[in-house]
Amino acid sequence: MQRRSPYPYWFLLPAGTIFFVLFLVPTIASFYFSLTYWDPFEARFAGFENYVQFFSEPYLARGVMNTLIFALLTSGLKTVLGLLLAVLLTSGMLGQGLMRSVVFFPVLVSTIGVGLLFQELMHPTEGAINVALSWVGIDGPGWLTNPSLALFSVALVDVWRGVGLATLIYIAGLATISPDYYEAARIDGATRIQQFWRVTVPLVRPATTTVVILSLIGGLRLFDLIWAMTRGGPGFSSDVLASTIYKQYQAGFWGLSTAGNVILFLVIAVVILPLSLWFNRKEVDL
Amino acid sequence: MKTRQIVIGLISMAVFFVIFVIPFILVLLTASKTPAEAASVDFTLPERWVFWENLVETVQTRDYQLLLAYWNSSVITVGAIVGLVIFGAMVGYVLQRRDTKLTRGLFFMVLAGLMIPPAVVPTIWLLQGINLFKTLHGMVLIQIAYGLGFTVLLYRSFIATIPRDLDEAAIIDGGTPLQIFFRVILPLLKPVTVTIIVVQAIGIFNDFTHPLYYLPGAENVTVQLTLYNFQSQFVSQINLLFMNILLITIPPLLVFIFFNRQIVAGMTSGAVKG
Amino acid sequence: MADVVLTDLRKSFGGLEVIKGVDLHIESGEFCVFVGPSGCGKSTLLRMISGLEDVSSGRIEIGGKDVTRAEPKDRGIAMVFQSYALYPHLTVRENIGFGLSLARRPKAEIKEKVDAVARTLQLEDYLDRKPKALSGGQRQRVAIGRSIVRDPSVFLFDEPLSNLDAALRAQMRIELTDLHAKLGTTMIYVTHDQVEAMTMADKIVVLNGGRIEQVGAPMELYDRPATPFVAGFIGSPKMNLLEGEAARKMGAREVYGIRPEHLVLSEGDGRWAGTVRHVERLGADTIVHLESREVGPLLARVEGHREFRLGQEVTASPAEGRAVLF
Repeated sequence: MQRRSPYPYWFLLPAGTIFFVLFLVPTIASFYFSLTYWDPFEARFAGFENYVQFFSEPYLARGVMNTLIFALLTSGLKTVLGLLLAVLLTSGMLGQGLMRSVVFFPVLVSTIGVGLLFQELMHPTEGAINVALSWVGIDGPGWLTNPSLALFSVALVDVWRGVGLATLIYIAGLATISPDYYEAARIDGATRIQQFWRVTVPLVRPATTTVVILSLIGGLRLFDLIWAMTRGGPGFSSDVLASTIYKQYQAGFWGLSTAGNVILFLVIAVVILPLSLWFNRKEVDL
Repeated sequence: MKTRQIVIGLISMAVFFVIFVIPFILVLLTASKTPAEAASVDFTLPERWVFWENLVETVQTRDYQLLLAYWNSSVITVGAIVGLVIFGAMVGYVLQRRDTKLTRGLFFMVLAGLMIPPAVVPTIWLLQGINLFKTLHGMVLIQIAYGLGFTVLLYRSFIATIPRDLDEAAIIDGGTPLQIFFRVILPLLKPVTVTIIVVQAIGIFNDFTHPLYYLPGAENVTVQLTLYNFQSQFVSQINLLFMNILLITIPPLLVFIFFNRQIVAGMTSGAVKG
Repeated sequence: MADVVLTDLRKSFGGLEVIKGVDLHIESGEFCVFVGPSGCGKSTLLRMISGLEDVSSGRIEIGGKDVTRAEPKDRGIAMVFQSYALYPHLTVRENIGFGLSLARRPKAEIKEKVDAVARTLQLEDYLDRKPKALSGGQRQRVAIGRSIVRDPSVFLFDEPLSNLDAALRAQMRIELTDLHAKLGTTMIYVTHDQVEAMTMADKIVVLNGGRIEQVGAPMELYDRPATPFVAGFIGSPKMNLLEGEAARKMGAREVYGIRPEHLVLSEGDGRWAGTVRHVERLGADTIVHLESREVGPLLARVEGHREFRLGQEVTASPAEGRAVLF
């Protein structure tokens, strides 16, 4: 007979129940509902019809492409800029504590607030950005009104909003690198640029892993910023999976919306799983 | 400090000011302007400062909707955080202390939960089925479910730093599992609990997407949705919209000022171990 | 007051057996020390007695009652941990009274008992401090106080002195021995330090590889070790152990043991001729490291201070009747 553990499994029950009912059940159910014609009144089995529609309708397929473009672009920019800013903000220069707070603050502000703010700032004629550009003689573009530009404008704002978090994570990562390595590298005659590539970049890899994975997941799932700034427009030019899911839900195409959800899940899994395995394998080599 | 560092510092501060500070100054300026002036968001000072009038008008809009939204958001945030802290800590504790196939499997699910996007429409269908759709307590439970991954992860790694000897001393002192958890472990989790409260509170308070899906209805409005409503209603009243942005940014700003260190600790917790 | 009886006690982790059948009787009121190298199972054995570790097979009786499957709190034991395991968020008073408070005893009773313990251990001035404001020795006393207040019939100590510096450790050894004399309660004490075992124990249990090597009073183990392992483990500096041909020549079957203080050094004739390699002058005695041509390295301990030169040729002879043969 086993005595009772001081760490009983029933401790897992309250959280487990909530997680199971409100997260796992819908997730599992989504696989079924994505195979149905489903509206507020009924669900009829439809096979892979929703998926076929998702990839054959240009306006839906566009969303899948945009999601990938958006996530890769923002994640790449956040990673590169985050590392550069972190190096800058740990160099011991004047005002670096203040600047750390300033760059981080947008992370805490409501995304919708940021989105609406930049929607105004990016107004083609009366927005502050184009007004400022006109002072130096540049005719600013229609940031959010030009269909081929809108997605990238939102991506820029997402980087503006999220680079502070990447910077912060990199600063924490840089703090774990012993100054001994830099001193050894200097004695070996490494220039600052060489120190950055040969010491900083390899040794800050755990932080890079975190930044890349966090920002990719965030980028793939992003909804609120796009919704606040363009609602996927003009037309469907800046639609991503998350905004498509919402639009189809509002239109009453629940099955199609859920198929979008499943596709988003699969996209995330396909992007993130190999990536984190790859990062983890390299970790062991170190 | 070397001259070089001062020069680089000054240049960087100028760039940072333009990129990160000016947008917020514009919010402040525009929120102080009359509707006609605010129609273009630019760098001019208001001709007439109507900050207070705008504030009052924003609060009064739609029969004091903003106050109702503040109340709803507070209820959701506080309720979800209480649940997350207690239930999340219990899970983190058992998952860390007991290494079995079951706990390892559950931990994997916690990690998966951080990655998987919630299946929104089936969740609505389920909430309707258990009569929690369009209810504040339903929203609280949803926020708990979505916040558990991060919470459990943080608690689990913090609990690993608490020596098991303390649990065992309490076992010998005759503590029941609940007594040990609530009287020995939970008090020792204070630093990480503060971090979790701060980070999750900001996240839940700023959440727009989930209330949009699960909490429709004017009486259920949350602070982020007040903006969404304003956008359609006040196409030409950007001053009020920006005033509203300002008003709902105050709580995160206060938290940022007082709990900067804990926020940084929480948000960078993955950076060191990877 | 209670005796402790272990019967064919076994413990496996996964497929690995770490306690391989232990039979032991600890008398009521005895100070019993488990000693052995790290990994010998001594801590596991103690934790099995405490109830923190499950028993794979066998039986534990405390005070005549079978407690093999009992909860720790129902065994009448108290335990002092190596790390002290003081609750960092509680004051000294709350730490000592924690068990009573968990059992929902009246506040007045808790205060009375804590005060009494604090008097015994001279902790009255520190009752309102947190553990981190205490010195190592004070923390140690709080940990002991927490166990005394439970009024146990058996005290368990898991290497309680290993976090203290040498001077404090010597002082705490005396305090613990005094405490045992005062309380007269059965105490089981785990250590890897044979000096602690020798100085404090009524009974020493030498463990090795999950088995008991020998049980006995300190001097019994010292004078008549049952196995070469015990011979080598008890006593400092270590006993000289000769094996093979050299041992057989001295009449032993496998191992011949002679303690350093039982080797007589001389410049004239003797049993083994050797060269002085190293000399440790400790004041009260001198320890000489010899390299003998016949049997290899030998340790000799000489009372007082005698001059030896490095490279000096000497002979070493075992004192009459002092050798141990295996």
